[in-house]
Amino acid sequence: MSASRRQILPGFGLSLACTLAYLSLLILLPLSGLAFRASHLSPAEFWAIATGERALASYRVTFGASLLAATVNAFFGLIVAWILVRYSFPGKRAIDALVDLPFALPTAVAGITLATLYADNGWIGRYLEPLGVKVAFTPFGIVVALTFIGLPFVVRTLQPVIEDIEPEVEEAAASLGASRWQTLIRVLFPAIFPALLTGFTLAFSRSVGEYGSVIFIAGNMPLISEITPLLIISKLEQYDVVGATALAMVMLVISFVMLLAVNALQWWAANRHSECSPSMGARR
Amino acid sequence: MSGHLRRVNAEPRWLRALLLGVGLGFLFFFLALPLLAVFVEAFAAGWTAYAGALNDPETRSAIGLTLFVALFVLPFNIVFGVAAAWAIAKFDFRGKSLLITLIDLPFAVSPVVVGLVFLLIFGAQGLFGPWLSAHDIKVVFALPGIIIVTLFITSPFVARELIPLMQSQGKEEEEAALSLGAGAWQMFRRVTLPNIKWGLLYGVILANARAMGEFGAVSVVSGHIRGETNTLPLHVEILYNEYNAVGAFASASVLALLALVTLLAKTIVEWRMRRENSMLSADLPAEKT
Amino acid sequence: MSIEIRAIGKRFGNFVALEDINLHIPTGELVALLGPSGCGKTTLLRIIAGMETADVGQVLFAGEETAHVHARDRKVGFVFQHYALFRHMSVFENVAFGLRVKARKVRPAEAEIHSRVMALLKLVQLDWLADRYPSQLSGGQRQRIALARALAVEPRVLLLDEPFGALDTQVRKELRRWLRRLHDEMQISSVFVTHDQEEALEVADRVVVMKQGRIEQIGSPDEVYSSPATPFVYQFLGNVNVFHSRVHGAWAEVAAERREDVPESAVTAFVRPHDIEIEHHPLTGGLEATVQEVHAIGPWVRVELAHASELIEVELTRERATILALAKGQQVWLKPRQIRVFAAPGKTMEEGGSGI
Repeated sequence: MSASRRQILPGFGLSLACTLAYLSLLILLPLSGLAFRASHLSPAEFWAIATGERALASYRVTFGASLLAATVNAFFGLIVAWILVRYSFPGKRAIDALVDLPFALPTAVAGITLATLYADNGWIGRYLEPLGVKVAFTPFGIVVALTFIGLPFVVRTLQPVIEDIEPEVEEAAASLGASRWQTLIRVLFPAIFPALLTGFTLAFSRSVGEYGSVIFIAGNMPLISEITPLLIISKLEQYDVVGATALAMVMLVISFVMLLAVNALQWWAANRHSECSPSMGARR
Repeated sequence: MSGHLRRVNAEPRWLRALLLGVGLGFLFFFLALPLLAVFVEAFAAGWTAYAGALNDPETRSAIGLTLFVALFVLPFNIVFGVAAAWAIAKFDFRGKSLLITLIDLPFAVSPVVVGLVFLLIFGAQGLFGPWLSAHDIKVVFALPGIIIVTLFITSPFVARELIPLMQSQGKEEEEAALSLGAGAWQMFRRVTLPNIKWGLLYGVILANARAMGEFGAVSVVSGHIRGETNTLPLHVEILYNEYNAVGAFASASVLALLALVTLLAKTIVEWRMRRENSMLSADLPAEKT
Repeated sequence: MSIEIRAIGKRFGNFVALEDINLHIPTGELVALLGPSGCGKTTLLRIIAGMETADVGQVLFAGEETAHVHARDRKVGFVFQHYALFRHMSVFENVAFGLRVKARKVRPAEAEIHSRVMALLKLVQLDWLADRYPSQLSGGQRQRIALARALAVEPRVLLLDEPFGALDTQVRKELRRWLRRLHDEMQISSVFVTHDQEEALEVADRVVVMKQGRIEQIGSPDEVYSSPATPFVYQFLGNVNVFHSRVHGAWAEVAAERREDVPESAVTAFVRPHDIEIEHHPLTGGLEATVQEVHAIGPWVRVELAHASELIEVELTRERATILALAKGQQVWLKPRQIRVFAAPGKTMEEGGSGI
């Protein structure tokens, strides 16, 4: 990692050294410590823990709920982003600011509040209960908590993209005879889609690791509504550090994969229609 | 002009109404109602009960601890964020995109895994465990552990905010300052810092909100010792699990208030950044049409 | 199809974008809307296209009122300044868009769409780019694709907003000629907006010069250049020397034959740089001046001269410059071949050509 040519601006060495030292000490070394500890296990042992009955069930709950929540967010987040960019209505600025609430509100607060709202006697739960819908203390409650957590990821990824659509593009579609609906489906949606997918993936990857907001509303029944981060905690509480380490390793690998997926998506969104090899560059 | 563009580019009235209804309804149920519920629950037993709950010594010590941790990590985040953004935005070097991904990493790792990682290093059975206990140094289940995981969790915020900002600003201004005879520090102090101050503040606000609200990672390494290593979010959990709803929501309301202040500050900073950007572009000669 | 614009007016808040615009464009004519930025030319174009609504006035297509016809039903081909190509669609799909969004009953079959799109791409000489995406094209290519896309729906009117504004000079010239040919082949009415006088004069059948929301002059390229109706048109189309007659009384007298009812100070004379003759010896009614700079610019030689404190620009042919052999600091005498005098508010008084 050396500067490719002589730099005029000062501080390259210092700032890069600071950055690398900080990242190494705080992030890289500790994370490789986890991998090191996990490597004490033989592959067979590791596999046995990582695919234990409770572990498999927890993956199902974690990923199922995260997928569902990210889907709900993709749908409603698209609508929210659209109305925030395109329409004007009273209180829009306050509502726009409110979208960041899940970023700002500590997850534990979100957890106890959602649990209270959706409990049988809660503001929302009491209307759902007669319908036979139970949300709090079921896997469905996990979806509610993760929807809360993931919403801003979708909205904030979409907003700038919707803002960037030039009005001329829509006017062009109209002048070519397209109805508003055709313009939405054929012109606007394809332009927004990569951002929607990115927002979906961001919300999903955040949801997979989420702990604080979920545990209060999930009920935490092993095999039914126990998420993987909680399973790690309960293994720790039973002094099963090895088991916790193995599961944490699984989670860590998944985080890496998600991070790469997000990067790949963003790269794709930026470059999908501009791949231009030199041989194709024969321009008139 | 926009009012008239709308005529060509507008959804039919019924679709507008439907989208507005669905979008705002969703926000109401998922954001506004929970926020309202925190305060209603906190005051459910009246003002005196609320004040009493906040006046509890354990609650006060939890508030103090949370504030202390947030203030303590602040300078680290600023220095790291500015250094990383300076190296990445102003210079070209191999492995840059890898470095950016690495900076993002704490966003992706589950907080519980973060807590566990430091438990494995500093815990009794951990890598340094025997050495630490021999020297009677407590990291895990003590203040240092809380600070370390908070540092980990909050490290990307400032850098993440500054990198794109500084990249878009380029380096001509700094080079101009140097060519006019400014020293490195003068250049940073008089040219770079004024340019990034709002972005820096923005990152600090976000990092601060996360530092005060972190639950999962801190929960693993704190040990939940009341009055000592209980941060406010952990305190909320304990009270809630003891069925002390008023106490839990009173503490939660402090955190919710903090979230509201964060949102307000964020909105103001965003507004200032946008205003300065538009003032900058207004200085440029008008584009020919 | 003819376009009739009657008494169009448009405001944005307090800003008057257009005021009392009247214009008739017969079928098959290519008209340029020419003016500086902010003169309302683009707004007028957008009103014709139905993308803006006028506050007052009417737009008639072939004699029919269009106020209640939505942009999508006007059968207007619109080419945007920055092309507004659909970036997620290939070149082929961009051109095919207008055909694909037609109602099922009138939509051509897939094979028909294919052949029509390919024919259009051939017309704009870009059929070899059908599978590319807009971001892979050069500016000139995008421009032509945008045009092909607009033509695909067989518009009755073609509207182009600064069609060559974002291109470099070489491509610009080529495309100008190409657009002219294309227009002649298609036999439709076309209107294009430009701030480049050369472009307007070269391409259009008729030029509409606009200023601050009003039409200054309508005429053939030759008319607007050689007999500008107002000082603005004079100055906007080509270089011009402006003389205030108090200083240059001699010239103004030559040109305007002195009118008693207009005070001398309220008269302004306009002379194009190539309409000034330079002589070494004194001339009657000539103006004495000192040579300051001599630049050879392509086929022309530009001479800057000083008279009192005023700067005068003269353009000579290379031949003439060689004969005169001007040197810096030399005293010479100037005489206008053609001069035009306006009363200061802009009303023409008299025209005088004083031949040599």
